[in-house]
Amino acid sequence: MTRRARWTDPKRELWLAWYATVAFYSLYAVVFFLVTRTQPPGKPWYTPEQVAGWFAGRHTGLLVGFALIFVLGGLSATALALITYSIRRMSVSRAFAYSYLILYAIAAVPGFLFICVAMTVGTMRPGRDPAVLRWLYDLGFLSFSGTMGVFLLGSLIWMTAILLDRNGVFPKWFAYLNLCNALTEVVVAPSWLFHGGVLAWNGTIAWWINVVVFGIYTGTFIHLLRQVILREDFGTGPLPAAPRRDSAHRVLEEVMAS
Amino acid sequence: MHRTTGEQVIFWTLPAVAVVWLAAFFVFPGFLPPMSPTWSPARVAAFYQDHTSRVRYSMILFNWFCVALIPILMLIVERMRHMAHRTPIMRYCVIGVAGAAPIAFLTSTVFWMVAAFRPDRAPALTQLYNDLAWITFTCGIPFLAAICVFLALSIYLDQQDRPVFGRWVAHFNVLVAVALVPAGFAGLTLTGAFAWNGLLSFWVKNVAIAVWIVVMGVVLGRATARQDEGAEVRA
Repeated sequence: MTRRARWTDPKRELWLAWYATVAFYSLYAVVFFLVTRTQPPGKPWYTPEQVAGWFAGRHTGLLVGFALIFVLGGLSATALALITYSIRRMSVSRAFAYSYLILYAIAAVPGFLFICVAMTVGTMRPGRDPAVLRWLYDLGFLSFSGTMGVFLLGSLIWMTAILLDRNGVFPKWFAYLNLCNALTEVVVAPSWLFHGGVLAWNGTIAWWINVVVFGIYTGTFIHLLRQVILREDFGTGPLPAAPRRDSAHRVLEEVMAS
Repeated sequence: MHRTTGEQVIFWTLPAVAVVWLAAFFVFPGFLPPMSPTWSPARVAAFYQDHTSRVRYSMILFNWFCVALIPILMLIVERMRHMAHRTPIMRYCVIGVAGAAPIAFLTSTVFWMVAAFRPDRAPALTQLYNDLAWITFTCGIPFLAAICVFLALSIYLDQQDRPVFGRWVAHFNVLVAVALVPAGFAGLTLTGAFAWNGLLSFWVKNVAIAVWIVVMGVVLGRATARQDEGAEVRA
């Protein structure tokens, strides 16, 4: 494929958004699990002194990791845009697509900006009163796992759209994976109540099971969005099956010739 | 006959709110020069005790009007409709961050106003609210940076004889996005160019945002006018 042919590919915007989505979720995983080590989360039952120790042990990681999110976090919109587009491609009202877009767009501030700000403020002054540090620690973890409704409703909107869709944009089983993701937002609610145990913000149910479901869900939808782009024919009827690899060039040439 | 369109009404709110933004910027006593992150809790508390009214009034103004950027961004989204794109993906990207960009700033005004609400509270708590305000204000750039990147990309992809925005507008947006990047690292240091009152994190970032608003306002105005002319010719 020549450079020019790729640039005029009618799917170029879709592919750019898809690669940005992959980049964003990779960055997200690396920052939260490796750089800041805020996942798995700290213990909700820590004393103020233990919280101070927790911040001190992650000083540079927290500041650098969340700085990367401050700079690149807006890339998350590419996933929303692609999903919105995929819902628009279905045989359902665009109200589903726009609802999904707005729900996830407003989730950004409480869902990930708050933890970045709280943890950065907690780390930037090592001498701060441990009681105040624990206030920031609680704000960070609770806002991150406890921002629930937007993701709950967003997943249910996507699920309903897939179940109603007659264009076959997504397989129906993926609708039920959306339901699983929505349910993680239900079982995380007790983390607002418990300081320890399986339902606390770091517990077996509220964290371990949820993160596994979220990981599978995210990996799956990134793969399925790729399939949607491959299958896209820019029509309004049923989405055709993915073209075979060897015929992909021919299709592209036909599109360019037309 | 020349008709005033709804888009023109929205567009001309920009110079009006820009005056309010500028006024609020000068009324807030902590911007010229920017407060230092090295201030002791006692000095931060004294600042809020000495300047309670100016902090409150400037932040009420910002809280009211920072979101006035959203309708302007929607005008840009409407211009993007006329770009030679095959899909609405780039518009959805911009809409996806258009709300969060000013809301991040709005959140910082809330922290500033809470700090000024009871200026006699324990100095360590006033310092906490002040830190939350400054870090949210300074580092809260991911959405604005993303808007610049999405716009730049959209303009590069708008390959037609009369593109909606000139190619230089794309280069300009890349430049502004780059100018915003250092501010994201403001938490790493309390002194120097990267600190929240430093050359990069305060001056370069905020001047870049101001210049971006002016330049995008001008090119948006031109693109809107050109489109209105086109519509009148067709009519």
